[in-house]
Amino acid sequence: MVFTSVANFVRSRGPDEFWRKRKIFKMAAHYIGRSRNCYSLAIRSVHRALVFATKGRALKKQDLANLWVTRITAGCEQHDVNYHVFRESLSRSNIMLNRKSLADLACWEPFTFKALTDIAQKRALEEGIAPPKGNKVLFVPKRGSQKKT
Amino acid sequence: MAGALRKIFATFARSYPKPVAQLLPRLYSNVPTPYEIVDAQEERKTYQDVIDKVNRQVAQAKQGRLFAVVHIQGKQVKVTEGDVFVVEGYWPPGAGDRISLDKVLLVGGRDFTLVGRPLVQRGLVQVEATVIEETLSHTKTHFKKKRRKQYMRINFMRVPQTMLRVNRIEIVGEVNHPSDVTGLETRVF
Repeated sequence: MVFTSVANFVRSRGPDEFWRKRKIFKMAAHYIGRSRNCYSLAIRSVHRALVFATKGRALKKQDLANLWVTRITAGCEQHDVNYHVFRESLSRSNIMLNRKSLADLACWEPFTFKALTDIAQKRALEEGIAPPKGNKVLFVPKRGSQKKT
Repeated sequence: MAGALRKIFATFARSYPKPVAQLLPRLYSNVPTPYEIVDAQEERKTYQDVIDKVNRQVAQAKQGRLFAVVHIQGKQVKVTEGDVFVVEGYWPPGAGDRISLDKVLLVGGRDFTLVGRPLVQRGLVQVEATVIEETLSHTKTHFKKKRRKQYMRINFMRVPQTMLRVNRIEIVGEVNHPSDVTGLETRVF
């Protein structure tokens, strides 16, 4: 039996209640109020937190995917291309960049992204790819688009 | 092909009086497809110019620091020289291994971007990386609980992670000038 101090040696002989609770209290150490000191409340919030952490790992992936779409859409709107037309045209041109790398390019490589939208526009024109109905952005105000009369 | 068909239909429909046009199958819209007159020779000259410019820039080593989007372990990563990135999950290469990342989807320089369809021409770009570390991620707790159902499961997992450093991204070949035989550089005879 490993013990680092006399207090721990004394504890290690009795029932394991202390150690069982200590595991939970360690995880609840940063909580506020009674849920950090009262075992019955602590275990409740620790369990809740662990469930959230488990589910959150999947949610994080979904959130990031949504963020990528947002970023690509923003990049596309700068060059007057619809997101769906853009993706469809790229895949028809055999350009297999995924949402993550497209979002990266939209953020950090504006010229590369512009080249991609140019390719997409050309392909869309050639194959007659139209944006899906009900998804039409009528007007996006941009820098220079509102002129003084 | 579809564009041409549509054009034929559109002109056909317009050349007849209206009732006849209505009898025609309305598979295609009457709006003529936008088209432009393309001079093949002019077009060829334009793109040859662009390719020459890229080749010249590479030959003079004025392309700047290159970045590449590579496909590795089912994921795509945008990397540049000196980057460290993580490959998650089971992946055979071990620490110290020097590997070349061959699935290059896109390469960008200062004034140009080479877009692969889906991959950049083989042997054109060399992306070399070294495996610098093989570790496990922090412990992730997989915890499930159903209230009032006496159901609780807990599991712990650690995902294998491999750190890679990108040593070199270089354009070695000539753009739009593939060698007659490709793929030999990866074979052992």
